[in-house]
Amino acid sequence: MATATMVLTRVKVQRRFGLALRVTVVLALLVLAALPLLLGGDVWAQRISRAAIYAVIGLSINTLTGHAGQISLGHQAFVGIGAFAAAFMASRLGAPLGFGLAAAGVAGAFTAVVIGLVALRVTGLYLALVTLAFGLTAETTIFNWREFTGGGAGAFAPRPAVLASDHAFALLCLGVLGLVLYLDWRIVSTKTGRALAAVRNNERIASTLGVNVTGYKLAAFSLSGLIAGLAGGLFAHWNQIVQAMDFEFQVALVWVLMTVVGGLRSRLGVILASAFFALLPLTLPNFLSSLPWQPPFLNEAVYHVLPPFIVVVMLLVVLRFFPGGFGQLLRPATDWLAGKRKQ
Amino acid sequence: MGAFLALGLFQGAVYGLLAVGIVLVYKAKRVFNFAQGEFGGVAAFTAFAIVVGAGLPYWVGVVGGLAAAVAMGLIVERVIVRPLESSSRTIMLVALVGVALFTIAIIVLLGQPIPRVMPPLISGGGVNILGAGILPQQLILMAVLAVLAAAMAWFFKTDMGLAVLASSQDTRAAQVVGISPVAVSRLVWGMAALLGGIAGLLYAPVGIFTPGFMTLTMLVPAFAAAVLGGMTSLPGAFIGGLAIGVVQNLGIYYLGQQLKVPGAAELGVFALLMLVLLIRPQGLLGKEA
Amino acid sequence: MKRRQLLKVEGLMLRFGGLQVLNDLSLSVREGQIVGLIGPNGAGKTSCFNCLTGIYQPQGGRVFFDGRDVSHLPTHRRARLGMARTWQNLGVIDALTVTENVMLAQHQRAGYSALAGMLGLAGTWHRERELRRDAAEIIEYFGLEAVADERTGELPYGVRKTCDMAMALASDPKMLLLDEPASGLSPEEALGLADTLRELRDRLKLTILMIEHHVPLVAEVCDYVYVLNFGELLTEGEPAAIQRHPEVIAAYLGGTAEPTEPPEWPLQPEGAPHGTA
Repeated sequence: MATATMVLTRVKVQRRFGLALRVTVVLALLVLAALPLLLGGDVWAQRISRAAIYAVIGLSINTLTGHAGQISLGHQAFVGIGAFAAAFMASRLGAPLGFGLAAAGVAGAFTAVVIGLVALRVTGLYLALVTLAFGLTAETTIFNWREFTGGGAGAFAPRPAVLASDHAFALLCLGVLGLVLYLDWRIVSTKTGRALAAVRNNERIASTLGVNVTGYKLAAFSLSGLIAGLAGGLFAHWNQIVQAMDFEFQVALVWVLMTVVGGLRSRLGVILASAFFALLPLTLPNFLSSLPWQPPFLNEAVYHVLPPFIVVVMLLVVLRFFPGGFGQLLRPATDWLAGKRKQ
Repeated sequence: MGAFLALGLFQGAVYGLLAVGIVLVYKAKRVFNFAQGEFGGVAAFTAFAIVVGAGLPYWVGVVGGLAAAVAMGLIVERVIVRPLESSSRTIMLVALVGVALFTIAIIVLLGQPIPRVMPPLISGGGVNILGAGILPQQLILMAVLAVLAAAMAWFFKTDMGLAVLASSQDTRAAQVVGISPVAVSRLVWGMAALLGGIAGLLYAPVGIFTPGFMTLTMLVPAFAAAVLGGMTSLPGAFIGGLAIGVVQNLGIYYLGQQLKVPGAAELGVFALLMLVLLIRPQGLLGKEA
Repeated sequence: MKRRQLLKVEGLMLRFGGLQVLNDLSLSVREGQIVGLIGPNGAGKTSCFNCLTGIYQPQGGRVFFDGRDVSHLPTHRRARLGMARTWQNLGVIDALTVTENVMLAQHQRAGYSALAGMLGLAGTWHRERELRRDAAEIIEYFGLEAVADERTGELPYGVRKTCDMAMALASDPKMLLLDEPASGLSPEEALGLADTLRELRDRLKLTILMIEHHVPLVAEVCDYVYVLNFGELLTEGEPAAIQRHPEVIAAYLGGTAEPTEPPEWPLQPEGAPHGTA
């Protein structure tokens, strides 16, 4: 057994760059990222909020798909339930925003628990199917339930005075994103992350090591539902009105693909990909209309399918050339920033 | 009531066709083919372009639509499935979802997201059978199904058919019979796409159809049918389809018409799916847990 | 002096479809013993392990561990009672490093809840550092320091096998179930393994049940041996007696017509460790 020691010896490379340089680079990047919020006016504040909300959604999917290896094709329903719950709390009960967001998260988590209890007892593929069915059902049933969602007219979700400005609201969204990032980091750094890694790679091995496989899958799905619901709550107050048509089933599929394109288990990659797809529908029409040549088949309705089209093309490129997504491309940089070295 | 039942059986038969395709792929690849609905979408839109757009005879549209579906199946097999053979099931699933999304996007880009009406093969009023108006389209369906059932019963007795069935147990089994696994894989996807295409062509003339209509309205009931049949039984999937069609339409009748619950059709299917997974996850007809 | 039975199996029956894999199998392991489970390929040894650990649910029979009936406990609950196992095709998670794998094996004694860890409550940080220290100790014991931060998927077979063993120990078990610990090891390494096993028994007071083909190893370390053939107990006894048993010799001679390695794991080479990356 002693052969193990001789097989691989690592060459220790002296760290040429100090901690100070790395910290400087991180700070510079953060300042750069904050510039639009500081200087950009309301439009940029709105965009940053939307990007942050999408990033929270991406991280919610990452919790389920990246960490637990399960797939939800109905995440738009969890986000939607959170959004309607927050709107209901705000407009019907007049509850403070904090309660609304809490209700949104709880609603998302509760729904996930109910579905997970049924679907996660069988093999992993069934969760994808059941969530797809649930998403379609929610779209036509729950979101059209007049008392809860206001039917086709939508439900209002006014912001409290403190958060009335788009800048203040952007800070709230970034705050929630920060919280979710912290959770993700702690998951990966504790026994939970190791247990989930075992669950997604080999359930039998995981269980013989004392890991409650179904329990961890259910926990990951519930947490994912909670984060998705929270994102929905933010979305409700961002848009200030929630309508069933905001949560069509294609949206969930785009989110799943977007997260894979960003790179499962790569926080930075998921955030970047999410931000890209959050801003795409806002910037794409302007970009296309500024082109010197107008493709003949482009019109308002077609803009609607361009994000799905683009995300699939990106997915194909990612799967073919760098399966780790954006995260894999960024790894040399992030490893350096984290002070890791490989020979 | 009788009309709902008749409609249920008709829709159920279409679900069944899709479900049989889903089961074929699952048996061979152990993956849920979320692109199955869009085989039908591609067939329907191609047929529409040929019959209504170009004004060619109906049979050209049918052949063209089915050819387009099969071509798509083979492309998916070559471009997506085979290169990802060694990746995780999660990634394969995500990629197949991508195929569905991509197909819908392409159809919208080429044809605009407007609703269309496909003329039925034979127009004219219904025939009255047992108090329910049966449309000619539904009689055609019965004929198509009878032919398909006979063809499949024959096919699965041939060496090639046995190889397809065996591929689920062991890819080596097919090699022993002397048929390459690649050929089996192509055949599975081609057949799944053909079944999906037939389903699409049968279903499109029923009402108006929009891009993504198969995935939106047919895919989940078809999967529910496959699950009901235990995911591995071909006849089970078809019978499951009929059951789902009937349950769904009874759901529309009781929940929707009588109790005014919105989305009764989807709710009925979802409830049935949850119930099956809760009580008998191996399906009503399946042997496998 | 007879020590108490740590593991007791009564009348295990396992069928897959029409195939009878285990038929009325009973065996027991006393505390502090090293017990061998041998038999030709396809005799049902690994299936027996899978029934003991709860991965297969046998159609009949009972399993008692540490004085309790665990027949209906799920796998992870049995693991928590102190059953640890290694795998014929290795129980390491390839995506994790050696250290992470060992820390994964410490799952049940992490001492904090998943929620507390996720929220980053005060005690968890300290506990993580302790676990890491413990893991480092185990890694050092098995001589894996040099590869501690390498992903196990990129390591050669022998190293991964050692890691699997380290993981089994890291869970702080009462009993080890070892599935062919000597396969893929050289004869000298196999003898080294004999010392390791004895040390585990004597110093850590571990009880060991192992499946093994390597007869010299079995003869050298086992206190007692069960011989399985076609899912049934052929005979049992001290290793010396077993080696002379005519039916055992016949069963093994009958078995030599087959490859020496179980066919269901074609990736696992006999003799030489695979991959030298």
